[in-house]
Amino acid sequence: MRPPRLFRTAIVRLAALYGALFGVSVIVLGVVVFLTADAALKSQMDRHLNAEAQALALDFAAGGRDRLAGAVRARAAIRGAGALDYGLTGPDGRLLAGDLRLPPGAEGRLTLPARPAGGEEQGEQDNAALRVLALRLADGSVLAVGDDLGRIDDVQEAILRAFAWALAATLALGAGGGVALGAGFLRRIDAITRTAEAIIAGDLRRRITLRGTGDDLDRLAGTLNRMLDRIGALMDSLRQVSADIAHDLRTPLARLRQRLETARDDAAIEAAVAEVDAILETFSALLRIAEIEAGARRAAFRPVDLAEIAAPVTEAFAPAAEDAGRRLVLAAPGGQAMVQGDRGLLTQLLANLVENALHHTPPGTKITIGVDPRGPLLSVADDGPGVPAAERENVLRRFYRLERSRTSAGSGLGLSLVAAIADLHGARVTLGDNAPGLVVRVAFGSGTHGQGNTVPG
Amino acid sequence: MKLLLIEDDVHTAAYVAAGLRQQGHTVDQAGNGRDGLFLAAGGEHDVLVVDRMLPGLDGLSLVRTLRATGTTAPVLFLTTLGGIDDRVDGLEAGGDDYLVKPFAFAELLARVNALARRPRLSDRPAVLEVADLRMDLLARTLTRAGRPIELQPREFQLLEYLMRHAGRVVTRTMLLEGVWDFHFDPRTNIVETHISRLRGKIGGPGEPELIHTVRGAGYLIRAPA
Repeated sequence: MRPPRLFRTAIVRLAALYGALFGVSVIVLGVVVFLTADAALKSQMDRHLNAEAQALALDFAAGGRDRLAGAVRARAAIRGAGALDYGLTGPDGRLLAGDLRLPPGAEGRLTLPARPAGGEEQGEQDNAALRVLALRLADGSVLAVGDDLGRIDDVQEAILRAFAWALAATLALGAGGGVALGAGFLRRIDAITRTAEAIIAGDLRRRITLRGTGDDLDRLAGTLNRMLDRIGALMDSLRQVSADIAHDLRTPLARLRQRLETARDDAAIEAAVAEVDAILETFSALLRIAEIEAGARRAAFRPVDLAEIAAPVTEAFAPAAEDAGRRLVLAAPGGQAMVQGDRGLLTQLLANLVENALHHTPPGTKITIGVDPRGPLLSVADDGPGVPAAERENVLRRFYRLERSRTSAGSGLGLSLVAAIADLHGARVTLGDNAPGLVVRVAFGSGTHGQGNTVPG
Repeated sequence: MKLLLIEDDVHTAAYVAAGLRQQGHTVDQAGNGRDGLFLAAGGEHDVLVVDRMLPGLDGLSLVRTLRATGTTAPVLFLTTLGGIDDRVDGLEAGGDDYLVKPFAFAELLARVNALARRPRLSDRPAVLEVADLRMDLLARTLTRAGRPIELQPREFQLLEYLMRHAGRVVTRTMLLEGVWDFHFDPRTNIVETHISRLRGKIGGPGEPELIHTVRGAGYLIRAPA
């Protein structure tokens, strides 16, 4: 399943990219604030512990261990928010005062994982880690002052929560803004796309509507319109030139034909008339190809059943094929093979393919017109000598303009006309092995309109 | 028959007019759209032959104006370009037939004759008869001298077209358009082979030939003289 249309547009992808960028910025900012706050809080806590320890050390200096023990007990008794933990451990490792037990040999700054289980004070303290400053005194006893790291955790938690909200808000605003902006943008891009589609379909007079805001899209639309005007002008002048050439050449040719006709009795003159007719026929075919390639007919496309085209063509050509010693049959499995197209042109396409087969196979050949609703597909197959795989490309190329000038007028133009009509219908012409013989397939509905036919490698 | 030819190319006009006069028709001529409209509005012509590209007033507008003012004379359009939409445009504007230039004079003549005597829809007969050949259009049956003849649907249609124009030449192109709805010229002799089969089916031993080939023009069905 394809994602909804809005999410396939460039602007939404851009919005998502910006959202992600803002999100990452918020996260980086959060991490920096978090780490800075953590360092500041810890250093403040350390200063506090240091001051407290120094104050108690003064007690020791003034009155020795007993006075210190008294002071420790007095301070440890204070409970409440911001209260510290104290401990005085004798040189023998026994806790003399307070309730902060140290692991043996501990000294300096350290972090104790949590209050040891079974400690005398349970109370309001949770199991958060302690930050401790341990001072070894002159008599070998150790004074420890500790503070609850949980207070820092609370602050950090508040910071994280604030940034989480900020991140959510950033992403929501980014996505919402992107979608709103994208929808507006999409409408205008759609208008341009619809105009382009209409022009591709043959309506060359269509232009993109400007909003008059003079923004980037408006300027782009203006430029595209000017480009279309220019192309339109070129097409018009080309058409005018073609019409002029057509008129200028056909009129003298027509007069030549008329003069020959009024004098016709002689075999040489009759041959000359036939020659002029051949020139005029080539000329008509060229004009017809040019007109088909201009694509203006596409606007008049109707649903057409390929089976209803194949049947009359088979019926029309079968007697002539039989007289020429070939057999023409229709192989249609039944059912409709509907395509959007021009009945007259598709009839001509099939007729040209049948004539091509009639002219390039020996007597005794069976020629089969095939209609396949799957595809849908129109094919003309023969059981003649066929075309070697290596040469099929050259044959197919005869369908196309590239080689047009080098082919003999009749059949070359016939196949070019097939190619032009197929192209107009977005159909693909391929040659294949009929084992034995050649099969020419025209597959509809496989490509998009106007896409060039390709020579399979 | 009185005809009006509206054509700006002097050579073509002279050639066509001379040919038509030779066939015993009276031909009025106009070299531009305005003169043509003025002459045609008189309403005295049996068939109008109108070039599509005319100075002053183009052929399509001319015919549209004529039709709007109630002129019903059949119109044969002459078109110069290999325009594949010209036929539709011409018929929509009120034309009755079209012919792409350059054309054989026989083709023009056959079409002018066909238009001049085109029966109105209301008086189309249910039975067509040429000599002892009798076609019942309602029962879709065909007999010759009372003997029933079986035809393929397309052969029936072909014979019907010929019989509707009995006594007049119909060209290969007219048959391709009228019977097969092919608006292009196949290189294969489709018409010839069908005509030959049709002749074989309707002609018994000793019976006179009814379908005649007119060299350089087309075919013609008529009773033996």
